[in-house]
Amino acid sequence: MIEAISTVDLTKTYGDLRAVDNLNLSIGRGEIFGFLGLNGAGKTTTIRMLLGMITPTSGYCYLNGERINKSNMDIWNDVGYIVETPYSYPELTVRENLEIVRRLRGIEDRDCVDWIIDKLKLGEYESRRVEHLSLGNAQRLGIAKAIIHRPKILLLDEPTNGLDPAGIVEVRRLLMDLAENEGVTVLISSHKLDEISKIATNIGIIHEGRLIKEIDGGGLQDQLRKSLVLDGRNKLAMRSILFQAGYDMSAKDGDLRKGSHPLRVHDEGAVNAPEKIATLLVKAGHPPTLLKVEEEDLEMYFLRMIEEYEGIRNE
Amino acid sequence: MNKMAVCISIETKKLFRSKIPLITMAVLTLIPFIGGFFMFILKDPSLSESLGFISAKAQLMGTADWPSYLSLLSQAIAIGGLFAFGFITSWIFGREYSDRTIRDLLALPVSRGIIVASKFIVMILWCLFLSAFVLILGLIVGNMVDIPGMSSALLMDGIKIYMICSLLTILLSTPVGFFASYGRGYLSPLGFIVITLILAQIVATTGYGEFFPWSIPAIIGIGIGNGEPIVSGISIAIVFLTSILGLVSTMLWWRYADQS
Repeated sequence: MIEAISTVDLTKTYGDLRAVDNLNLSIGRGEIFGFLGLNGAGKTTTIRMLLGMITPTSGYCYLNGERINKSNMDIWNDVGYIVETPYSYPELTVRENLEIVRRLRGIEDRDCVDWIIDKLKLGEYESRRVEHLSLGNAQRLGIAKAIIHRPKILLLDEPTNGLDPAGIVEVRRLLMDLAENEGVTVLISSHKLDEISKIATNIGIIHEGRLIKEIDGGGLQDQLRKSLVLDGRNKLAMRSILFQAGYDMSAKDGDLRKGSHPLRVHDEGAVNAPEKIATLLVKAGHPPTLLKVEEEDLEMYFLRMIEEYEGIRNE
Repeated sequence: MNKMAVCISIETKKLFRSKIPLITMAVLTLIPFIGGFFMFILKDPSLSESLGFISAKAQLMGTADWPSYLSLLSQAIAIGGLFAFGFITSWIFGREYSDRTIRDLLALPVSRGIIVASKFIVMILWCLFLSAFVLILGLIVGNMVDIPGMSSALLMDGIKIYMICSLLTILLSTPVGFFASYGRGYLSPLGFIVITLILAQIVATTGYGEFFPWSIPAIIGIGIGNGEPIVSGISIAIVFLTSILGLVSTMLWWRYADQS
């Protein structure tokens, strides 16, 4: 089966900087692919290459099996997109901006403008000039422009920027509805794993232009690491005792001296039997004042993936 | 409706919902009124003596007759047009970058060549309208001031040369479109306009104006009433080539340059 979106050894360089480095993506139809990375990781550059806005230095991009080529504009008939913050013509109204997109896309059905205004709850603002819209409503308009033609592929670069929590939930529901009921393939970029994890069927972490990890969205929780968090009066001594007992810890001496960082033991044995740790420390004369099992949150997981990649790269 | 017609109608809408038509019309309206005022001063020697500096400026226009007046209008549209028409072009192209709407245009299933062409067409049509508006207003003002020396032959010659000046000036705006796209906004094209305006004056005074595209329209404007064209066909060809270069380079820029 032909993938909805794919890239083969996609690379973009700017002088010495490799913004995207041999990126290979393969996104199936109806999938919501979360494209996760820090600022400057290469997310937007990748999306721009998928949209033909910039030309790859090497490698290829495919949409619906067709290689992207600036002279074949028909590729983008089935593609909707938001590249960073969406902008519209400020002197025109919401409806006029949508009419422009409808006409440029050659959509004969004039009712689609009413449909999308209704779908994105823009009715109250349809006669308002875009320059007078709030950031959130301007973002809604951007999403409306992206899906007015009922695309089969959506490329969304941080689409929830500027939206309030209710707006974020609305967009999330909309995207899930489009994927589940209309088979729309969504590539959504973000630097927030918790947001992405709520909708993505698959997640790819990009760092320094490389895809460093691919995770099945449903199995993300299994990837989160548990650790035993400890605190006490003399953390350096506690650390030394645990180290001698063979436990794996992350805290550095400097951090412990500052006092604010607790000790974290990642060892599975410690996590599963914290009472053994407590007993060991009490016997050594350093009873813990805090002892709890903690699961890393999604942001911590995301940062850990990046740290692990950087560790491997530097070896 | 084909894509080109759709793009032209959209570009027209974008232009007319902005303040640009009003601003450019207001600025160019000054040309016939200032010209008429100078003719009015030149017609009346006693008034001319009492106005000092303004009178000295008016004396540079020559005599109070229709050939001088039409020549003044032609030169004014050639010089003022470089600025006004360039300003319109820089807005039409530069606004897509400064308002960041360029991203929406680039991945639409519409050829970039069509988008660029429609922008130039709308620019040319609006500038032609402005030129005609200034000419008609100029003729009305000239009649109101009661400038002497009008004949139907002179009128036809004057209108022809005025329209040639206008058309050539409009054609010279295509490189502005390129600089607006290359510079991604208004600053580069406006800088380019100012530089060409200054260079046009300097080169014209050195006697090589007929080979410098931006000097040529104003030189042609001097020819009203002389019966024969002041510049050669080479000058006209230079302007056309410059315009084509501007058009093609803008198209190529939109087509091939990375739009980040």
